[in-house]
Amino acid sequence: MLGELGDKARLYAGGTELLLAMKHDLLRYEHLIDVKTISDLNKIELKNGSLMIGSTVTHRALERSPVVKENLPVLAQMETNVANVRVRASGTLGGNLCFAEPHSDPATLLLALGARAHVQGKAGSKTVGIDKLITGAYETSLASDELLVGVEIPIPTKSKQAAYLKFQLHERPTLGLALVLDVDGDNVTTATAVVGSVSTVPTQSGKANSILVGSKAQIEKQLPDAAEALAEAADPVDDLEGSAEYKCHLIRVFLKRAFSQALS
Amino acid sequence: MSAEKKTDFHVVNHSLPRRDGRVKVTGKAQYVADLRLIGMAYAKVLRSTYAHAKIISIDKSRAEARPGVYCVVTGYDLEGLSPYYGHAVKDHPLLAIDKVRYAGEPVAAVVAVDERTAFEALEFIDVKYEELKAVFTPAEALAEDAPLLHERQFEAGALRGFEGEVSAGKGTNICQTHKIQWGDVDKAFKEAAAVVEGNYYFPMTYAYAMEPYVAVAEVNDQDVTIYSSAQHPFMVRHDLKSVFNLPVSSVRLIVPFVGGGYGSKSYTKIEPLVAACSWKAKRPVKLQLTVEEAMLTTRSDDAYTWMRTAADANGKIIARQAKIVMNTGAYAENSPLVVEKSTNRCVGPYAIPNVLIENSSLYTNTVPASSYRGFGCAQVTLPGESQIDELAAKIGKDPYEFRLANAAKPGEEFFPGMRPFDGTLKQDLETAAKAIGWGKPLPKGHGRTVACSGSDAGAYPLTSTAIRVHADGSVTIMTGSTELGQGSHTVLPQIAAEELGIPFEKVRVVSSDTAITPYDRSTGASRTTTLMGTAVLEASREAIQQMVVMAADVLKVKIEQVRVVRGGVRCGEAQLKWSEVISKFYALPDGEVIGRAYIRKSGKFSALPVFWETAATGVEISVDEETGKITMEKLATVGDVGLAINPALAEGQDIGAATMGMGIGLFEELVYEGSQLVNGSILDYRLPRFSDLPKEVELHLVQNQDGVGPYGAKGGGEASLNSMAANIANAVDRAVGVRIRQAPLTPERIWRAMKEKRDKG
Repeated sequence: MLGELGDKARLYAGGTELLLAMKHDLLRYEHLIDVKTISDLNKIELKNGSLMIGSTVTHRALERSPVVKENLPVLAQMETNVANVRVRASGTLGGNLCFAEPHSDPATLLLALGARAHVQGKAGSKTVGIDKLITGAYETSLASDELLVGVEIPIPTKSKQAAYLKFQLHERPTLGLALVLDVDGDNVTTATAVVGSVSTVPTQSGKANSILVGSKAQIEKQLPDAAEALAEAADPVDDLEGSAEYKCHLIRVFLKRAFSQALS
Repeated sequence: MSAEKKTDFHVVNHSLPRRDGRVKVTGKAQYVADLRLIGMAYAKVLRSTYAHAKIISIDKSRAEARPGVYCVVTGYDLEGLSPYYGHAVKDHPLLAIDKVRYAGEPVAAVVAVDERTAFEALEFIDVKYEELKAVFTPAEALAEDAPLLHERQFEAGALRGFEGEVSAGKGTNICQTHKIQWGDVDKAFKEAAAVVEGNYYFPMTYAYAMEPYVAVAEVNDQDVTIYSSAQHPFMVRHDLKSVFNLPVSSVRLIVPFVGGGYGSKSYTKIEPLVAACSWKAKRPVKLQLTVEEAMLTTRSDDAYTWMRTAADANGKIIARQAKIVMNTGAYAENSPLVVEKSTNRCVGPYAIPNVLIENSSLYTNTVPASSYRGFGCAQVTLPGESQIDELAAKIGKDPYEFRLANAAKPGEEFFPGMRPFDGTLKQDLETAAKAIGWGKPLPKGHGRTVACSGSDAGAYPLTSTAIRVHADGSVTIMTGSTELGQGSHTVLPQIAAEELGIPFEKVRVVSSDTAITPYDRSTGASRTTTLMGTAVLEASREAIQQMVVMAADVLKVKIEQVRVVRGGVRCGEAQLKWSEVISKFYALPDGEVIGRAYIRKSGKFSALPVFWETAATGVEISVDEETGKITMEKLATVGDVGLAINPALAEGQDIGAATMGMGIGLFEELVYEGSQLVNGSILDYRLPRFSDLPKEVELHLVQNQDGVGPYGAKGGGEASLNSMAANIANAVDRAVGVRIRQAPLTPERIWRAMKEKRDKG
């Protein structure tokens, strides 16, 4: 259908972003194709050590799912704090990622968790990382005849600790910060820090991630350096949420808080 | 002190459930948006993208040619109408004529079979503009080379309601100036033991009623009928009578339930535009604005205030001086009165012997400002109550004790020429302080403050009503007061039921239909309980007098022999209920008695203000020192309301007002970047949410029956807003030691102030 209708049509799942934009006449489509009618896209399953989440699964379903709570509590906790309950009840994970709104909580956390997006097109299917799916503000790498089928999130091993924190003043978060650490005794062996909302796309920094590896005591001292590297990579923008300077400061505050929360 | 200090109330002073509660929560209440008239068309508005531009041409032919479009109305299609309206001065064209004065100003309206068709036709209207230099702040508007927004002289609006001249239209961008002065300020500041001084900014805010502006107009050759979400139907009637040059009796304003007003629905807004659409289209037309369009319709005046306050060595406030410059936007609306009131309200409820306050408002190329809950008081209470704390700190006094020592006393004429103070601030402040635990130890990063305000309520005493007592003893109140959610449909029947001695359930209200309900000047300035309440009380008593005469006739006795008892009359052994009086009088179980009352500026209402609207609030906040984010720990409101006709509703008004004030203190601010309002949407304008409410809330009322209203009542519902921004600023100072002289106190502003303080060492 999408191939047939071309630019006049858009895929639609929860509608919490798309319908709002259409209401404000920012987007115009003659047809909306409801992907919620496609069976199997609304499932949450455990498969080969990964959590498979269909793209029409709502935030509310993720927030309440026993499977998610048990295997990936950080995801359930993040989802609990997405927008408000009305948005969570109709908004979907797939819709959230495909709309690529820069203040997406899920995109930030999923990037840190190493999630992969499953994409189905006319030509066949493929799997891409979140950073390859979301390419800019409101931009994805999806071709006009491609559909995000779902995401696959590897269940973290026992040694991994994760935290997602956000700072929110307005309707959308000012900052989202996800931190996933692989911990071995007093040492962190690998680390992924991702900051979202402060700029167009969720960002990580190889430099910051490497600073976050080593003994816990040493990392604690280096947290300001890691924050600086992360802020430099994210390159926050001045907007109504706050100045770039303030957002860089928030990255410092929340990296420190995420670090202690992840290890607690 | 009121003569009628009565306490054995049957209906009044009881928290009866609100009349409109059930229909509203079940979605059955009818608002203007629910209305559909036969043959009704829909209008959508094309708005200017420029802040200031000459209109060179408007080509509407392509839009008018579209299927489903009845007509397109522009400022050039209004021949035969007087297209300028305005309550203070007639400076506001119903559609832009010759030029546009702010981005978002209505330039044309499409009238079509449905809203979508009208909306889609908008982009086919071709408007050619020649951009003019624009000004967005009072400073820019005052600059020597500033462009003039309004070139012409204006006709005065006939319903001005304020004392001074309007300064607008005299060849500058000044819209209004006002000044008050007594004592010798210069001398007092020279002799003062301590002086505090500072510059403050109070932001532009949007009142955010849940229901955006909506109106349906039906205009024919003889009559104009409008259903509107207006707070003051009689004021709007006046403007429409002038626009269409019709007698008062030919203009009918009908206001059903209103989904919140908070001042934003005061005076005329979209009614002339929708009426002109109906006049052109020759059919009923509905215009329903979106929230975003409503935000382009009105806002509060933002205010830049320089203020200084002085105390003597004994801790007595001896002088206050302020210069206020307000940004009134593109049209005067009701802002000249806001200027007058904010000038007066600088004095606060304090007895200060030396005062000089100078105020002016400037036209700028921004959304027109007008009434907003608190009416200019919050703008100056941020500086005023901030300085009380600053001054107390400077002379080493406890700010609460300092307030108690300086607050106006009951009966004190603290503002020369105005009604002596009718509140009890000592009790208000004590109650607020106790509620938030004044003097108890606080954790680090917490701050606790109390503040107060006293406004010379703008309630002008001009009101009338009719009470119809039916032959079965039930009653209909005819009132021009609008039910905005404030509870007038509950409070007025309580008063009638109290007076007539009949059950509350038997009293109904018909409201705000100018063809049916007697004249009431407005539903604003917290005036309804005091003024319309008095009218209902007096009309009930007048009906009783008539029924006494009727009873004497029925019983064939002298009038003096008839004694009024609760719910009826007695004469010797004979006792008649009102229903029996009426049905025996008419000799049929039918007919009615109409009690009337007229209120004017006379008698107990001759001194203005009619009442001082007074409240105290107390807060405890905590500040996250790393992010600067404030958490509201506690809130206490104390409404000094004389007597609460319905205590639950009065308290509901107080928490609503305090929450609105908290919103300004913490988040709310309309932001302009260049010519455009950049956060004028439901997503970007940050309002308080339930999750922002203080963790603990205590609502108190002080009821000393010291008002001029029924049983000693006086107005409430706005005052708790006024002191909240100052309270939050003072609490931040006490919590983390930084003084912020600007609302809202966003986390970034607090973080920045703390950083600057640290950097300075």
